Amino acid sequence: MRRRWLLGLVAIALAATACGGDDQGGGGGGTQQQYKLTLIQGVKGDQFYVTMECGAQEAAQAAGATLDVQAPDEFDASLQTPVVNAVVAQKPDAILVAPTDTKAMIPPLTQAKDAGIKLIFVDTTTENGAELAESEIASDNLEGGREAARTLAKLTGEKGSVLVINVKPGISTTDARAKGFEEELKNYPNMKSLGVEYSNDKPEVAAAKATAALAAHPDMVGIFGTNLFSAEGAATGMRSAGAAEKVKIVGFDAGPKQVEDLEQGIVQALIAQKPADIGKAGVEQAIHALKGEPVEKKIGTGFVVVTKENMNNPDVQPFLYKSNC
Amino acid sequence: MSEPLLEARGVTKSFGGVRALRGVDFAVHPGEVAALVGDNGAGKSTLVKILSGTLAPDGGEIWFEGRQVTVPNPVAARELGIETVYQDLALAPELDPAANLFLGRELVRPGPLGRLGFLDKAGMRRRTNKAFADLGIGLQDTGAMVANLSGGQRQSVAVSRAATWVSKVVFMDEPTAALGVVQSARVRDLIRRVRESGIGVVLISHNMPEVMELADRIEVLRLGVRVARFRAADTTMEQVIAAMTGALGNEDVA
Amino acid sequence: MADREIREVPPAAEDGERADEPEQEGVQGALRRRLTETTTWTFLILLGIVAGFAALRFEQFATVFNFRNIAADASGLMIIAVGMTFVIITSGIDLSVGSVLVFAGVIAAKVMEGLGGDGWGAIGAGLVAGLLAGLAWGVVNGVLVTKARVPPLIVTLGTLGMALGSALLITGGIDVRGVPLELTTTIGIGRLWGVPYVVIIAAVVTAIGAVTLSMTRFGRYTYAIGSNAEAARRAGIDVDRHLIKVYGLSGFLAGMAGMVSLARFATTTIGGHSTDNLAAIAAVVLGGTSLFGGIGTVLGTVVGVFIPAVLQNGFVILGVQPFWQQVAVGAILIVAVYIDQLKRRAQERGGRR
Repeated sequence: MRRRWLLGLVAIALAATACGGDDQGGGGGGTQQQYKLTLIQGVKGDQFYVTMECGAQEAAQAAGATLDVQAPDEFDASLQTPVVNAVVAQKPDAILVAPTDTKAMIPPLTQAKDAGIKLIFVDTTTENGAELAESEIASDNLEGGREAARTLAKLTGEKGSVLVINVKPGISTTDARAKGFEEELKNYPNMKSLGVEYSNDKPEVAAAKATAALAAHPDMVGIFGTNLFSAEGAATGMRSAGAAEKVKIVGFDAGPKQVEDLEQGIVQALIAQKPADIGKAGVEQAIHALKGEPVEKKIGTGFVVVTKENMNNPDVQPFLYKSNC
Repeated sequence: MSEPLLEARGVTKSFGGVRALRGVDFAVHPGEVAALVGDNGAGKSTLVKILSGTLAPDGGEIWFEGRQVTVPNPVAARELGIETVYQDLALAPELDPAANLFLGRELVRPGPLGRLGFLDKAGMRRRTNKAFADLGIGLQDTGAMVANLSGGQRQSVAVSRAATWVSKVVFMDEPTAALGVVQSARVRDLIRRVRESGIGVVLISHNMPEVMELADRIEVLRLGVRVARFRAADTTMEQVIAAMTGALGNEDVA
Repeated sequence: MADREIREVPPAAEDGERADEPEQEGVQGALRRRLTETTTWTFLILLGIVAGFAALRFEQFATVFNFRNIAADASGLMIIAVGMTFVIITSGIDLSVGSVLVFAGVIAAKVMEGLGGDGWGAIGAGLVAGLLAGLAWGVVNGVLVTKARVPPLIVTLGTLGMALGSALLITGGIDVRGVPLELTTTIGIGRLWGVPYVVIIAAVVTAIGAVTLSMTRFGRYTYAIGSNAEAARRAGIDVDRHLIKVYGLSGFLAGMAGMVSLARFATTTIGGHSTDNLAAIAAVVLGGTSLFGGIGTVLGTVVGVFIPAVLQNGFVILGVQPFWQQVAVGAILIVAVYIDQLKRRAQERGGRR
């Protein structure tokens, strides 16, 4: 008796989740083809990707396509791979994906392409991105890094030593930002680089590395955090070390927490990307590719430098990241 | 009387500050049932554990078949031919009776598979069924975990394990404690049969009527030393109990 | 107590008359037991889940492509879970497996990098080094549990930190990426007759584990120690030495999973294995192994590995929000253990004849 109950329960649970999931409408029955798109983010819960999702959803609705969103628990290739594999089995028409490793994600994404699915790389890319994807859409991260250097130089009076907190090697975007920063820093003879530390995309690690660097170099005057969690962690570290006044921080990405830090003066400037634009462009290029129309192979989206002074301006405000759509 | 099969001479053992055995003596001869009795805390279980290799004594001597020996671990006791039915049965509840019977002495398949350790489960089960049949123990489901057997059935498994492997001396610590009338009678039969085959049986029991019925000799421990020895035929239960409580002592009776 | 025993009508089995029938009863009893084992039930749940997803999304879910990926993605966890099965059956636990996996991968990658070149010599040396590293951590666990008498939960919690910390020290927190390409293209993503090499490796490990556990003395000692270690000791089994072997096996298999991961991803994936230990424990328990020791099978663990793997895959295909997947897997784990408890209590009540 009990056993039949349990099997029944499992069946009901499955049916319920089926109803809860997106209904992938079966083909035909309309004048326009409804395309099925899936966005695979780099990691769950990151406002950069949430904002990208919002932009993508808007564009998808406008084009009459459905957009499904999936993501791994951590920014790691070993966790993103099963997600990619399952999405490929789902057979969407196109996948918008932010690969978590330039090398390790090549095999599963190659499988996706071989299955006839169009790939659009958003934000990050792989070593062979140009061949694998229809289009690569990202901010010009090299330029973004340079902009960050210029901003930090201005804030510190072009004097003193500065630290870069990066995520981990092998991520195309953040590596480019760190590179651009170091390049541009050479133009300021009175500024010294304290090198690059890695946060592994964890704010607590970023905080620990920032405070350790401060302890080792009391003359440190600035930190550049190359992504959301790295900047957030650095800010937390400086605040708890009581060095919020002394050490200027330039962060990348403008999530709500960073904007709050900006307001409270813990972080002095944020280089905001335009993830909503990336998401929108991703969907648009996907539809072009599916319709057989010409596709832009590479799109570089721009930046906005956000400071306490300008953050409420109408031309800056829309570019602050969202926590939900 | 023949020479003792197994003897303890002046054995001592302390646990922390507690002196459990204070120079205890004990002897069992081939082909007899020697009962080891005493009140709680007299040291019976401790003595059994020492003679069966589970515990090491602090002092004293152990003699086996006329030679002095040490029994450093249970395997050494087994090699001497000593088997034990412990009070807590020492069975593995999640294993079946055959696995328990052959615990530590598993049969392996012949040839190269055997060298890799492949078990001869069918062989073990066959031997176990035979052993149970010989002892008159019927189990409905011989593949069942020992944990799913009744207390009496479990005790039967433990007793038949010792009886199957013993060659010289078998210790039985409260063997009928959890058994019903029919099974107790069967175990008593088994004990007599074992004695007939020339093996020395050491019976530890609180069940005085059973002791009086089964034992040939009775040795009484009290507070870690032997205080009396009786021949069952020449003694009454009251005398034995008196010795246990300290009202009587007669170390010189053989 | 004696009174109760006398009034108890001895069932037929306790008379001498039925003593010659146990063989026959045994077969029927064995069949009944097989049908009600937890493993059977969780296997039915797995079948139910597979059937459910196939019914809802047939062309997407029920394809060779999809099943092949599910198996390949689950291969690392499967290898770890085989080792964990042995450990849990001894009523122990090994929380360090994820960290040992990472550490072994780091050692192997560093050796390959250090020896330079893309040859199979360097690859082979690296793989051996990784396996030995895993074995070493396993032996450390075993020695601390048996000789120092520290509870396994604490020991392996400690080695979890030490192994991961050592890996971070060696690499500076950065994944090692200089793994020779050949390793990835052959073992990592290569296939033999359509079956991915990593799946073959996991299947072989599983088969050897299953046979060892159910048919050899080593397996029997594992069950005995988990059931009643003191009884095993009194039966002459060297419990300490056996436990060191069991924990050593767990570490060795964690190292092997590290090699499989290294081959698939060509990088050490330091950040991706922090919950491997809990996933392995859940898989083992889902498969019917008791955390209290003495009961369990490798076949059950296979089922336990695939239930969360299939769930995650199916949910993504259905388009269910990622967070629901974790909720569902956790709920099924509780339900499975609950069913097991109900069955055990029923057995205890009804088993006394």
